[in-house]
Amino acid sequence: MIVGEQKSIAEIREMIAPYKKLLILGCGTCVKTCFAGGEDEVATLASALRLSLKKDGKEIAVEEFTVERQCEDAFIQEAAPHISPNSAVLSLACGAGVQAIARRFVKVPVLPGVNTTFIGVLEKQGLFTEECSGCGDCKLAPFGGICPVTRCSKKLLNGPCGGSRNGKCEVSPDIDCAWQLIIERLKILGQLDHLRDYMPPKNWKTSHAGGPRKLVREDHII
Amino acid sequence: MADQFKPEIAVFHCINTFADSAVLPIAENEHFSVKSYKLPCSSMVKDVYLLRAFEAGADAVLVFVCPEGQCRYVEGNIRAAKRVQFVKRLLDEIGIDARRLALFNIAAGDAAAVVEIIHQNLPELVKLGPNPAA
Repeated sequence: MIVGEQKSIAEIREMIAPYKKLLILGCGTCVKTCFAGGEDEVATLASALRLSLKKDGKEIAVEEFTVERQCEDAFIQEAAPHISPNSAVLSLACGAGVQAIARRFVKVPVLPGVNTTFIGVLEKQGLFTEECSGCGDCKLAPFGGICPVTRCSKKLLNGPCGGSRNGKCEVSPDIDCAWQLIIERLKILGQLDHLRDYMPPKNWKTSHAGGPRKLVREDHII
Repeated sequence: MADQFKPEIAVFHCINTFADSAVLPIAENEHFSVKSYKLPCSSMVKDVYLLRAFEAGADAVLVFVCPEGQCRYVEGNIRAAKRVQFVKRLLDEIGIDARRLALFNIAAGDAAAVVEIIHQNLPELVKLGPNPAA
C-alpha cells in the first residue's frame, strides 16, 4: 500500500489561510490503513483545525467527507456535491489522489494534507516499512523475495557491502541489512547459488528516472 | 474563592471502572462542573471525542480507566493511554496546552478516587484558565 503521514497543523493552517469554506476529503484505502487520511483522521483533523482557528479568533466552515478511493473517478464522483459548496478541498489522500481530485474539479483549489512517503507494508500494528520503489523492473526472484533496490541503502545488486554490523546497516542501526536478510532467506530456500548470479547494472529507464510512466491496457479500453 | 474561575471538566470513563456517572457525587460543585461520558471500554475513546469535548467548551478532559493489567478487554486501557498521549501532542501543536488532558488509572468502582483526583488537579486547571478555543 501507499504510506503517508499527515502534515502538521501549522503547515495546513498556512495552506488553508485564504479560504473560508473548506472540505476535508478523506480516502478510505491506503491512507486509512496507515492512519493518515481515513474517516477518523478527517474527523480528528477537522476538530483540531476548528480548535486551532478559534483559539486565534478565526473561524472557517469545515465540512468532512471520505470516499473509498480518491485515485478512481468512479469514487471521486461521490464527492462532487460536497466539493461544489466549498472554496477549497484539503485532500488527505496520497499525491495521486490529490491530483485526481484536482484534475476532476479544475476550478477548486485542492491542497495536500498528507505527505506521501513510500510503498510499504504493515509490519505490525502501527509500524509501516518501505518495501518497494516501483522501479518498473521487478527482480525479486533471485533475491529471495527481498528487494535490494529498496531495502539496501546502497541499492547493491551483487552482494553485501561489508559494512553491516549484527544484521544492521551501517547507514543506520534502525535499518536491517537487506543483504543479511537476502542471504538468510536464500539459505532457507536452498537457493544460495543465486549469489553467484551476476546482476548487470540496473536499467533505470523503467523507473521514474525515465519520466512519468503510463500503463496502457488496450484490452480494457473501449 | 467566589470569583475564582470554575473549570468545566469533561470526564470520560469506562463502564468497568464505574458503571454509571450518576454514582459520582460531583455533578455540580461551586469550584468546578463536570460532564461525564461513559464508554463500554476506555479504548473506545477516539481522538476526535477528546477534541470535540474541548470544542464543546470543556476546559479540561479527564479520562478514567482501569488499572493496567485489569482491563476486561486486556489492552483497552493501554490503547486509551496511547490515544490520550497522541491528543496531548495535538493540543500542544494547536496551542491549547496538553495539561488540559489527562488519564488516570483507578480501581473498579472507586468513584471516590475520581473526586480526589479532580480536587488534586483543580489548582492547576484553575491556573490554566479557560479553554482558549471554547
